[in-house]
Amino acid sequence: MAASLRLLVRRLARLSHRSITSAAANVSWRSGCCLCPSSSRCLSDAAEDRSTHFGFETVSEAEKAKRVYKVFENVAQKYDIMNDAMSLGVHRLWKDMLLHAMHPQPGARLLDVAGGTGDISFRFLDYVYYQQERQKRRATGSSQSLSWQDISDKYPDEDRPQESRAVVCDINKEMLKVGKQRAESMGIISGVSWVVGDAEELPFDDDQFDIYTIAFGIRNVTHINQALQEAFRVLKPGGRFMCLEFSKVTNPILASLYDAYSFQVIPVLGEVIAGDWKSYQYLVESIRKFPDQEEFKGMIEDAGFCCVQYFNFTGGVVALHSGFKL
Amino acid sequence: MAALLRGLRAGRLLRGLTSVVAAPTSTHAQGSSLRRGFHFAALKLQDESKSDKPSVSSSSSSSSTITNEHHQAQSAEQDNEAASQQHSDPNCSDQEQDEDFETEEQRQTRILTAAVEFVPLHGWSMEAIAAGAESLGLSSASTGMFYNGAGDMVLHFISQCNSKLTEILAEQHNQVQLGQAEPKKTADFLRDAVETRLRMYIPYIETWPQAMSILLLPHNIPDSLKHLSTMVDDIWYYAGDRSTDMNWYTKRAVLTGLYNTTELVMLQDSSLDFQDTWTFLDNRIQDVVNMATTAKQMQSTGEAVAQGLMGAAVTLKNLTGLNQRR
Repeated sequence: MAASLRLLVRRLARLSHRSITSAAANVSWRSGCCLCPSSSRCLSDAAEDRSTHFGFETVSEAEKAKRVYKVFENVAQKYDIMNDAMSLGVHRLWKDMLLHAMHPQPGARLLDVAGGTGDISFRFLDYVYYQQERQKRRATGSSQSLSWQDISDKYPDEDRPQESRAVVCDINKEMLKVGKQRAESMGIISGVSWVVGDAEELPFDDDQFDIYTIAFGIRNVTHINQALQEAFRVLKPGGRFMCLEFSKVTNPILASLYDAYSFQVIPVLGEVIAGDWKSYQYLVESIRKFPDQEEFKGMIEDAGFCCVQYFNFTGGVVALHSGFKL
Repeated sequence: MAALLRGLRAGRLLRGLTSVVAAPTSTHAQGSSLRRGFHFAALKLQDESKSDKPSVSSSSSSSSTITNEHHQAQSAEQDNEAASQQHSDPNCSDQEQDEDFETEEQRQTRILTAAVEFVPLHGWSMEAIAAGAESLGLSSASTGMFYNGAGDMVLHFISQCNSKLTEILAEQHNQVQLGQAEPKKTADFLRDAVETRLRMYIPYIETWPQAMSILLLPHNIPDSLKHLSTMVDDIWYYAGDRSTDMNWYTKRAVLTGLYNTTELVMLQDSSLDFQDTWTFLDNRIQDVVNMATTAKQMQSTGEAVAQGLMGAAVTLKNLTGLNQRR
């Protein structure tokens, strides 16, 4: 009875923010979304009884979301610099490999959850733009031998709305702010939307996106299974779920080196560059708490995805999981 | 409690209807969305009590009832949102019902079969596979399933052609068995089999060089050789070859050479209905037949010559008296 009441309240909350969503074609709106899920969560008393891990600490589930929010609020400004410093620039390669595996076709819509500063979305837009350029070049190349009439007939075709759009969704407004600043400085005006939203309860309708990515974000989510189910919901049939995340290193020598580096060097870097030891301590601890490759693969399959595969990068430091909604 | 839920669902349906009327955010044809919305709403009210569509409740492995109800409610929403999508893709509804029975390979086969239709437009490439997937109502991101990309498509097409050929040969064989047709001579049989097989390439002959180059890529060579050898073996089997000595190898080598050279001739043949190619094929088969008879003749001639020489040698020995033993 209590469970169904809770469900009812959650549905009422969703009803109210779905009615706003359905009216607008562009889904970029501010803090209204954040209030509703948190209010429904406040009404649920069982969440506070359950505890979860925050790094190596144990906290209640309601507490975890707040603390994660604070961590990323603190690190937002220095997030990109710290990424480069901690991974010695290798994170760019990991993200490039994600895009390469994704191989998006022109016209695809991407949802980048926990996308924060927009790394994946910018790469996605670049990739798709390049693909479109190649196609156009091929089309004009093949039309070299056509008559003038045919060539002029082709021109209207190129205005076909083949726009690919990327939607960056993050629960943290600071991260989105940094991302927007980066977009402006890179000169990317159209093609990206910035949405505040919770991965466990996405503010989107069903069957909206071709590709769902979550890069280095899913280990911060309190209920990973819920996030996976939401991913399943918002993807179109045939859509692809891709998750880039730190995972278990298989090689024991590399593992000990990696552990030493994680616990000795990274928090120090955090203190020196970003002035925040604790956040980076949380970061390396949360990596240890995340399930390993096979277990996460099982979780993805439970959410309903099929053809689930994972690829290890850098010996297992990072794993790319991919599943399809079919 | 259940009544309350049903009321909520009805409310959501009506709200969904207004969203269909007010702001058609979906990318599908807007003209008939209103009609479809009403139609499906009527259907939904009837089907309330029926079970969920399997595509939504595929996460049935999760044990909590809350998530099940969550999905039940969402299925009503999803079905309404995806109403127009289902209507325009009759394949989709069949697919959802058979989803439990269809394996991943069957699904991949279906996508590739659809993709082959788009080859004249896009060539043997990922774009053709994306177009094929979209024609089945799946997102273009599902092309990520094919890690070999265009190679998968070409190999699939070749194995399809081989199966078609085997069916035709088996059919002919049956007819001969039943006495409805005359058994053909080996040379004619081979000629007809190769011609039938090569005619399957005619719709794609413009892009076939691209396909051949894909087949020659190092990682595709084992598979393409396998398909070629099974096809050659099948043709010889139905031609009646049951040899168990060196002939087995020589026959298959000969037919492989025949097939490959004829294929290459076909690529640059511009005569009507590829008459030049079939003439070339005839000539090559004639060469093979001639060579076989010539070989036999040479063998018998050789034997005769050897015997003659032996006779001459014995006569000489007799004449010179070497044969006498005294």
